[in-house]
Amino acid sequence: MASTILRGSLRSRPANGHAAFIPQIRKLVFECCDRWPSSDNTRTFLFSNLRTLAEKNPHVEIVVRQRIHREPILRGFYINNRDKVVPLNGLSIGEIKQKITLLLDSSGAQIKPLKRRNVESTTESARGIWSGLHADRPVL
Amino acid sequence: MLGRLARGVPALRRALHTGSQPNSTTAALDLIRSQPSHYVVANFVGRKYILAPRDLLTVPRPRDVQVGDVLTLDEIHELGSREYTLRGNPTISPDRVRVQATVVEHTKGKMESIFKKKRRKGYQKTITHKQPYTRLRIGDIEIPISSS
Repeated sequence: MASTILRGSLRSRPANGHAAFIPQIRKLVFECCDRWPSSDNTRTFLFSNLRTLAEKNPHVEIVVRQRIHREPILRGFYINNRDKVVPLNGLSIGEIKQKITLLLDSSGAQIKPLKRRNVESTTESARGIWSGLHADRPVL
Repeated sequence: MLGRLARGVPALRRALHTGSQPNSTTAALDLIRSQPSHYVVANFVGRKYILAPRDLLTVPRPRDVQVGDVLTLDEIHELGSREYTLRGNPTISPDRVRVQATVVEHTKGKMESIFKKKRRKGYQKTITHKQPYTRLRIGDIEIPISSS
């Protein structure tokens, strides 16, 4: 008798990075004002470093938008349909670069406690699960 | 007498079950490779983890590691399958087993508040801290066939 294959067992489980790695960030949007001084550092960064940033990260779509009479903002859009918004108000150019690295390195997932989560596995254990019915009877 | 008989039987059953012991590392690896799924006990940044393919390993962020980098685990203490285990002394050499891990992301954990106080001294402060972490995806466990 042929063993039945359950349809659910033929599904594929996501494991980004296992065989091929797809970067999670897809778009980076800079929004700043043309006139207000709070956007000064952001504008300086855009004029000097934006091209090298785009060349170093060819997988990211980089957009610059106007955000008139508001504080400057950096938005990152990710493959999991979430976005992260970081204000750039009051930051120096070095700090702006740190925020950009933060968004580029992230996966877009919500911040969750990671202290105790060392290994997250969907693979079943190689050694199997102990069963009292299939083990040697203990002898005193 | 029955008790003595019962004590003798499990040893006999165990001998029938396992078969002959392999006499070389290559033979042991052949036995392990013949089984469908494997696990590995590897050391990473000073800590040991039991890892299988497709696992997501979260470690405190090491320096000089970029997202997308592929790292090879070179301190593998144990390689095992359902019925066989090979333990290194202290590690299995990297040309016998190969496990790679891809850096998937750099994140931060949840915000933790640490409250410090010395009573009757007017000293108290709250420190907020977010630990940076790196998440790695474990690749397949490769046991190359050696000619020796």
